[in-house]
Amino acid sequence: MSKNTRNTAFRKVDVDQYGEEVYEEDQTADEGATGPSDAEVQSMLAKGRNGDALQYVLTNAPLTSKNQGVKDKAAQTVLKVLMSLKANEIEGSLKGLDQAKQDTLMKYIYRGFENPSEGSSAQLLVWHDKLFAVTGVGSIVRVLTDRKRV
Amino acid sequence: MSTTLQPYLKAVRQTLTAAICVENFSSQVVERHNKPEVEVRTSKELLLTPVTISRNDKEKVLIEGSINSLRISIAIKQADEIEKILCHKFMRFMMMRAENFIILRRKPVEGYDISFLVTNFHTEQMFKHKLVDFIIHFMEEIDKEISEMKLAVNSRARISAEEFLKRF
Repeated sequence: MSKNTRNTAFRKVDVDQYGEEVYEEDQTADEGATGPSDAEVQSMLAKGRNGDALQYVLTNAPLTSKNQGVKDKAAQTVLKVLMSLKANEIEGSLKGLDQAKQDTLMKYIYRGFENPSEGSSAQLLVWHDKLFAVTGVGSIVRVLTDRKRV
Repeated sequence: MSTTLQPYLKAVRQTLTAAICVENFSSQVVERHNKPEVEVRTSKELLLTPVTISRNDKEKVLIEGSINSLRISIAIKQADEIEKILCHKFMRFMMMRAENFIILRRKPVEGYDISFLVTNFHTEQMFKHKLVDFIIHFMEEIDKEISEMKLAVNSRARISAEEFLKRF
């Protein structure tokens, strides 16, 4: 018989990927989303405009970007802003947030929990508590189910 | 440090209440099978974002959800060698009897000390808020029990050493 019948490579093919109903993550990635600029945030924090800094980082959160480096950098910036706000200022800054920003903030709080450093978890727990008082369980559910990870 | 305990448990409770919403979902891959999707992990669309809540770098809880099941992994504070051994033995004792515990997993997830697996069948038979209460209570009691055991070990060691050395 001809030689090609000995080729058993067909056994290694993953046929499941060719099924019609295979779920594919949303491929459209917004390459323009570069996240908040560090310099901008630094200047706002230096001037003491902590509430504005929070608004800025949440508006420019790189949710649609596929670049992990961009997301990591943004997460660090947000963590810096969250640490800088004192306990009594937190409630005030939460008042100005709409639902989308509250969900993004909740995502960043959980992201911050993943890399605990000196005293960061204690502060994040306070943030979590105050934000939960405003939003309720809904925002946690949206964090769990949203495909756009922070 | 203990001032973070209550907020920590509160945050875990709130996250668990949100994540424990599971419903029945048969396997999409194998017909007539029903598997906890958080363990099988074959279909990405059925899995929720895993979420961590940490009190410090030693104590944290990982909550991984899916459509029909929830996996909760707890990393317990172990300050010194003796606590490590006690914790390990205690967890092993419980995990060997996982069948009677119902929601306990026989092996902890990598990086954690103990894991629970709650499926839709469990939530159908038991109250969700009671399951959450149980896990929070468990987290509170574990630290107390390990401290108690450590004290007991130390006092026993002291007494037996005293008795032994009286002969010399």
